Amino acid sequence: MRLVVALSVAAALAVFLLYTSLAGGSTPSVQPSQLAGQSGVVSLGGRVVGSSTGDARAAGGMRFTVRDPKGTATVPVVYRGTVPDQFKTGREVYVTGTLRDGVFVAEKDSMVTRCPSKYSAKS
Amino acid sequence: MPLLGRAALILAFGLVVYAAVAGSYGAWRRRRLVVESARNALCGAFGVALVASLVLLAALARHDFRFTYVADHTSRELPLRYTLSAFWGGQEGSLLLWFLVLTGAASGAIALNRRLTTDVLPWTAPILGGLASFFAFLLVAVSSPFATQPAPVDGAGLNPSLQNPYMLAHPPMLYLGYVGLSIPFAFAMAALASSRNDERWLVATRRWTLAAWTFLGVAILLGAKWAYEEVGWGGWYAWDPVENAALMPWLVATAYLHSVMIQEKKNMLRVWNAVLVALAFGLSLFGTFLTRSGVINSIHSFTQSPLGSWFLGFIAVVAAGSTALILVRLPVLRSRTRLESLVSREAAFLYNNLFLVAFALTVLWGVVYPLVSEAVRGVAVTVGAPYYDFFGIAFGLPLVILMGIGPVVAWRRASLRSVGRTLLLPGGVAVVAGAALVLAGAGSSPVGLVGYTFAAFVLAAIVVEFIRGTRARRALGEPSWPRALASLVSRNRRRYGGYIVHAAIVLLLVGAIGIGAFSTTREVRLQRGETVTVDGYTLAYVGSTAERVANAKELRAHLQVTRNGDDLGTIAAGKNRYPAEGESSNEVGIRTDLLRAEDLFVIADRFDRGGSVFIKVIVNPLVNLIWLAGIVFLFGSVVAMWPDAREQARLARRFGEPEALAPA
Repeated sequence: MRLVVALSVAAALAVFLLYTSLAGGSTPSVQPSQLAGQSGVVSLGGRVVGSSTGDARAAGGMRFTVRDPKGTATVPVVYRGTVPDQFKTGREVYVTGTLRDGVFVAEKDSMVTRCPSKYSAKS
Repeated sequence: MPLLGRAALILAFGLVVYAAVAGSYGAWRRRRLVVESARNALCGAFGVALVASLVLLAALARHDFRFTYVADHTSRELPLRYTLSAFWGGQEGSLLLWFLVLTGAASGAIALNRRLTTDVLPWTAPILGGLASFFAFLLVAVSSPFATQPAPVDGAGLNPSLQNPYMLAHPPMLYLGYVGLSIPFAFAMAALASSRNDERWLVATRRWTLAAWTFLGVAILLGAKWAYEEVGWGGWYAWDPVENAALMPWLVATAYLHSVMIQEKKNMLRVWNAVLVALAFGLSLFGTFLTRSGVINSIHSFTQSPLGSWFLGFIAVVAAGSTALILVRLPVLRSRTRLESLVSREAAFLYNNLFLVAFALTVLWGVVYPLVSEAVRGVAVTVGAPYYDFFGIAFGLPLVILMGIGPVVAWRRASLRSVGRTLLLPGGVAVVAGAALVLAGAGSSPVGLVGYTFAAFVLAAIVVEFIRGTRARRALGEPSWPRALASLVSRNRRRYGGYIVHAAIVLLLVGAIGIGAFSTTREVRLQRGETVTVDGYTLAYVGSTAERVANAKELRAHLQVTRNGDDLGTIAAGKNRYPAEGESSNEVGIRTDLLRAEDLFVIADRFDRGGSVFIKVIVNPLVNLIWLAGIVFLFGSVVAMWPDAREQARLARRFGEPEALAPA
């Protein structure tokens, strides 16, 4: 009897977990080529190409271009806020925001760079 | 030289394979001599692994760039300590460290339990040999630290953020923890294989488990301190998959440490414990796999590194093997003792286990979900801090309460009334503390307030336990209070060491709440002479400096700090630029107020050409309690682990053997 109770509690918890993780804590993580269909807030990830202009601390924000890590699709990004040290042309960055009129407008301070892995060859 | 290293690894591989194969044969056919030879092979493998390690260390010390590994991870300018620690800084070297610690721990555990592992648990050596064989295989065939190349002029160097003393100590501590969990795992599986259902192996491996768990906990905190100081975003734990990789086995190991006490005393929960120890070890393998396979970034990068597939296969084999063994032995494991009451110490430990394991599984789901989602739906997602924070609080707060209740609840069947009576005083303390905190302004975060109240409750309960015990010893004739306390702890090391560890966890909680719920942040752009005030601190921008040191250019903004008119000195924050590696690193300024245990945390984000600086100022109350908790945790664990002649004698009587189990 106790086993039945325990198992059903566990099952209820599992269902709850699945629901919250699917609904709540996650943001879709996309690459520039996948931006087309997205309308809401997404996490955009890709490699920085070309040079960046502007000032992330100024009203106009910093503008740079992000490309698919393994593809050719690119998208211009405008970003305001803290720029992590690892930001550099050729590095992979992630910003959270929305696509507006062909330009990805990033939320303030949302830029994250992945630390270059200790275990793989230098990137 | 590389040849010596490679030869050593091949020899080691042969030895551990022999240990696995011959040991299995010897265990199956009950051939004592064969089992002993397997054990000796493991010791031999450790010796040979040591030789290989020395070869690598020597190559590192000599800057021998013919070794690809040395060239990839060090440079001539790198300080010696970081050059040597590059041993474990890269893929191949870290695998060698795994192998070295595994063979070392295996040899040690078996040598200290010679009778037990030869006669009663003969499968121990082959199981450990099998585990070691995997790593030896990787080292020989897939990922060798002794690959050579035409020597370049200088090496690639070490990522500047990793040149930090905490990062120096973090990996070896972590591996001692991960690998250490293989010992209780191997003994448990060997007990299942031999169909033993006495608790001797539990007692034999208790200290190994405790030690591994302690190393793992300390490693996690070292990593957190590194992140706090070096990555410097103002926080200490980001729920990054790499961080979670170490947290998950630690949580399950904590559950295991508690439930084995039940098994030892009451012969219950045997199946559960077998599952827990396999889960803990499996998660430590999983953690090793996560941090090196590149699988976290994207499931597609997984296929690039062949190591990832090997690891996944190995984890699958270990998981399948232990599951099969547990299922086959289920009839033998089933205990006859039943849980008598839902209000009893056994039940409290069970609740503790359920919450800990539930939390570990939640973290696991958070780590795995992005990969599952991408594989199944083709949509990658990121799981953020809100998910982890929610469940951390949901499971963490009940766990804290249990820490206070568990020790005072009686075995088998307790009455709620007696529990309530014992906890009246701590409960009262908690209420008073809560009221005082509300007056002090802690009501701004209801969750934080609740957490603090629970913390006060548990701390008071622990203090009450110490006082009661000391008073009892005084009554028994100890001449003074300090002596009574010392003899109390000395006679009950496990219990009172455990209480100290509980106190450490509470300290951690208080610190985590302080920084998590009550920190203040201000972002501002300052010209020279301008000031900003954050939570009582006033910072005035004095100016900036640029200084050339060994391998970097240090850019710093200097700020004068005052509080209520008192001069608190200057704080400097800025960036380091490393021309050799082409990197720059964030160098935050931290001013620690030891009395208040709080930190003034300054990030100098950008230096303008006009002479102004963009800074972010954060005040983290009570954050230093987290680091203090680490020290208290270590102290408590050492107390609990300390060898006890009286306990050894008691166990010898219980298990009816004159020399019983060697101190292990």
